Amino acid sequence: MTVPLGRPEPTRGHRPSDSGQSAQPAQPAESVQSVRGGKPGRSVPLGMPGRSGYLGKPGHFGKSGLTARHLRAHVVVVVWVGLALPAAGAQQSLPVARWLAIHLFLLGAATTAVVVWSEHFAVALLHAARPDERWSDARLAAVNLAVAGVLTGVATDLPALTGVACALLVGAVTAHLVVLVRMGRGALGGRLAPVVGYYRAAAAALLTGAVLGGLLATGHAGAGHYGGLRLAHIHVTLLGWIGLPVLGTLFMLWPTVLGVRMAERTTSVARRVLGLTGGGLAVAVAGLTAGWRLPAVVGVLVYGAGLALAVDLFARTVRGRNPAAATGAASPASPDGAGSPATAVGPGRAPALGVGSRRAPLSAAAVQSSAAALGWLCAGVAADAVVLAVRPLDRAGEQIDTLVPVLILGVVAQILIGALSYLLPIVLSGGPKERTALQAVLERGRTVRLVALNAGLVLVAAPLPGPCGTVGALLAAAAGAVFAVLTAMVLVRGARRTGTGGSPRRPVLLGSAAGALLVVLAVLVANSGGVGNDSTGNDSAGRSGTGAVAAGEGADGATVVRTVDVTLADMRIRPSRIDITAGTALKLKVTNKDAQRHDLKVDGGPATPLLADGESRTLDLGTITADRTAWCTLPGHRAAGMTLDIVVQKRGQKRGQKSEQKSGQQGTGQDSMAGMTDDGQMSTGDGTGLDLTADFSRGWTSRDPALAPARGGTVHRVTLHAGPRTVEVAPGVKQRMWTFGGTAPGPTLHGKVGDVFEVTLVNDDPAMGHGVDFHAGSLAPDEAMRTVRPGGRLVYRFRADHAGAWLYHCSTAPMLQHMGNGMYGAVVIDPPGLAKVDHEYVLVSSELYLGTPGSAAQVAKMRQDDPDAWVFNGVAAQYAKAPLKVKAGERARFWVVAAGPSDGVSFHIVGTVFDTVYKEGAYLLEPGGSGGSQALDLSVAQGGFVETTFPAAGHYSFVDHDMRHAERGAAGTVEVTDR
Amino acid sequence: MNGVGWWSLVRFLHVAGAVVWVGGQLTLTLVVLPLARRSLSDEARDRFAAAAGRRFGMLTGAVFLPLQLATGWAMACHRGVTWASLADPGYGRTLATKLGLFVLVMLAAAGHGIAYARGRAELARTLAVVSLVGSLGVVLLATALPAT
Repeated sequence: MTVPLGRPEPTRGHRPSDSGQSAQPAQPAESVQSVRGGKPGRSVPLGMPGRSGYLGKPGHFGKSGLTARHLRAHVVVVVWVGLALPAAGAQQSLPVARWLAIHLFLLGAATTAVVVWSEHFAVALLHAARPDERWSDARLAAVNLAVAGVLTGVATDLPALTGVACALLVGAVTAHLVVLVRMGRGALGGRLAPVVGYYRAAAAALLTGAVLGGLLATGHAGAGHYGGLRLAHIHVTLLGWIGLPVLGTLFMLWPTVLGVRMAERTTSVARRVLGLTGGGLAVAVAGLTAGWRLPAVVGVLVYGAGLALAVDLFARTVRGRNPAAATGAASPASPDGAGSPATAVGPGRAPALGVGSRRAPLSAAAVQSSAAALGWLCAGVAADAVVLAVRPLDRAGEQIDTLVPVLILGVVAQILIGALSYLLPIVLSGGPKERTALQAVLERGRTVRLVALNAGLVLVAAPLPGPCGTVGALLAAAAGAVFAVLTAMVLVRGARRTGTGGSPRRPVLLGSAAGALLVVLAVLVANSGGVGNDSTGNDSAGRSGTGAVAAGEGADGATVVRTVDVTLADMRIRPSRIDITAGTALKLKVTNKDAQRHDLKVDGGPATPLLADGESRTLDLGTITADRTAWCTLPGHRAAGMTLDIVVQKRGQKRGQKSEQKSGQQGTGQDSMAGMTDDGQMSTGDGTGLDLTADFSRGWTSRDPALAPARGGTVHRVTLHAGPRTVEVAPGVKQRMWTFGGTAPGPTLHGKVGDVFEVTLVNDDPAMGHGVDFHAGSLAPDEAMRTVRPGGRLVYRFRADHAGAWLYHCSTAPMLQHMGNGMYGAVVIDPPGLAKVDHEYVLVSSELYLGTPGSAAQVAKMRQDDPDAWVFNGVAAQYAKAPLKVKAGERARFWVVAAGPSDGVSFHIVGTVFDTVYKEGAYLLEPGGSGGSQALDLSVAQGGFVETTFPAAGHYSFVDHDMRHAERGAAGTVEVTDR
Repeated sequence: MNGVGWWSLVRFLHVAGAVVWVGGQLTLTLVVLPLARRSLSDEARDRFAAAAGRRFGMLTGAVFLPLQLATGWAMACHRGVTWASLADPGYGRTLATKLGLFVLVMLAAAGHGIAYARGRAELARTLAVVSLVGSLGVVLLATALPAT
């Protein structure tokens, strides 16, 4: 029960063992005579080099256990393919379906086939003893179990299951590799023994691929390495695990299906090609893993060079067909076996010799499909090299993604079709007649199928408008489906034949496996697009709840609509949490700002399509009444942290209360403060949609908190431009602010008592009027604080008669909005005789309201005093990310102004005591006394300063000691180092 | 809905039908046929298995299938399930999948009968097991549907 290999020319190089083995008498039951061309060909021994050697068990061939095992294995392959097809059909609607389709096909079908056949061929090629059947079955079962685990784990988003299954896969494949390596020891080895090297390299590649895939799917890859690791995973699995065995097997299959002798130099070429492809792939994968482009490109090119060498040999084999035949005819003497395949692994059909014309290949379908597959592989490798060469690695992924399906169908599917067309009849048949019949079934309409498949693929691959791609995909799918049906028919026939002798338990096993697969698939489909019953339950509960809330709202006014900008980048969703009042209508404006594609799916609700870099979609979630979660559905991304929680708060419950309750549950206030000082920065904070621990965008710099020394002279002339500006107000969050001078807060003015400030206000805002009100001077408001129309200007002149930390702000109504959107700043007037200190800082405290400035949603938050964050100098957590730097023992003065618009500040520095407090024009505390101060409390629009000395090196948090404010942005760090 | 009402009776019929059908398959597969195989002669066993299969098949076609379809249809109407809602994630999709799996199970059961009639014993047994495991899957999906 074996497969014939190419028939090497009778050479002198044969080792005695070879000829000795091949010379085993052709046994009646184990040899097949070719009937092709009406002339009996030479008999070729069929014996399987196995436990019983070439002799095998005469007469046992047809119903051997091996046939049944192959049948089982191929049923599994067909089932995987069968599952892959619906998944491929659903990939437009579900991103995970695309992943599933690819992995059902490659990890399921192709892996099973490669494991079975590589072991089978390795035995034959090495003339080795067949490994224990039970262990082979166990390995195969473990591989399939692991594959099922990985697929289920990813599809149902259980990273733990995925991880365990990956570990099982690694174990099973390691066992496979060990078997392949040990098989070579002490084995006789044949001419084609180098081909086994391909199988070993492939197993090693799958090991690497499984580890990389596991990292990706369980979210351990990390945002920075995700793209590179993913490319490495794709390369090592496609070009290694799939590509190498295909290439290696072709060395023997190609001459075999052509029905010609193997070229003399096949052995040496096979070795060289393995060196080039395997080495090139190793370099490419290492380069991709490390994120280096040059080695990646070089590696792929070297792989391509190996491929070209192999193709050259194959092409020569085709051209050499006639001479080979002629030689064969001239020397029919290759005596029984002496010239027969060094490694007869099948019921060789010796081609009819001595026919003057070109012989037809043994299996035309196999020849055509293999040639087409090789063509696609070459094209794919070339395209891959070009993409890697011209695109930076983080951008190459998308292009290569479009290559993958073409490669899968073009190479893997076609090689499967080719190999199965030739091998299945041999494996499943009991005799030549039956084999011819089975082959006829498998070759039905082969030319039409071949043309349809390849034309379809060309349509898909070519940059043509949408409909062409769809037509191509349908064509290719139809061709594949027809072959799947033909294969099933052949398998059923085989099953029928072997059925009588099968074990009584087999139908139970087969039936259970098929049934279980059906159920798993059904559960996957049922759970696709959100968890089923739970969300439905929420929805229905929500709907009845909405009525109640809406009734309540009728009294208050219209439903509040809130639009939140959501950014997908660096494997994070920002904000990671949205707090929302029950009954608010929520819209998410989702923008992908990542090189790789993402989507966002809300459980039981709407989902965006896959968004490329810069693309944006708005999701309307309707009225929110219950907590929801959203995540990116790409495999592994949710596990890596791409989730978003939408948390509903009861009406009337303020966020602060909620966060207090939460911290109360979590521990004492002291604990949370200890945590705060330990990290030197605040935790994300309860109740905020902002992720304050996230990183600011690249290139972001904090606002310099240092107070610039007052310029000389008594008249300060300043020009203030009023106008909107988009700035990063929290890590990764950009917000349109209304500003003085392009920043919020506006520039700090610094002088001494008696100085005159002559401020020219220029209104650059094309949309609205602005004015200004300097608290530091006294004058009639009518003229100075009037609103300046867009494009207009006014001069605001005041004399700072009094010392203090003063607020200035926009004087145009509604001031709540103008100040809430950033139009405020500080004026610092030094009191006379102010002592010199080592550092002098200005901190303006304020609230931050996200959303479209002036929108109903944003204004509603301002009215309810429900900000998204509290901030020092306009940006949440900015000094937690960029700490103030002081040396131990140095003395610092902190000027603080509370800009509001609604909340004051209680300024405290953890770990210090203030020895000087100056508030609203008077010293509350001066050095030298016995007293100390812990916090500077300022109501809205008040100001002052505190002074302290930092005793030792460490991280001192400065906070608004209203912890609701501190935990949501109003906190920073003073990093004190030793002198 | 509180207490036992008409709709709970409909649901009871639906669940009871499923219980009898799945339970019947299990009993036949795990209890009756193995015993028959052990205690009867080959010929008698074949006759017995054929008769048992035919009877169960008739019961399925005449009672179980109409009952499940009718009660299922009624409950779907009562709950306001529309064709369009079957595609929605959550309830709709789970129900649609359950129906699809049910159809496959019925096809497997029918295939079992045909294969048996044509003397393809092994294929028939395989399909019987597929049908049994699949119907357990239908029950699993049914439990995922919230009560009507």
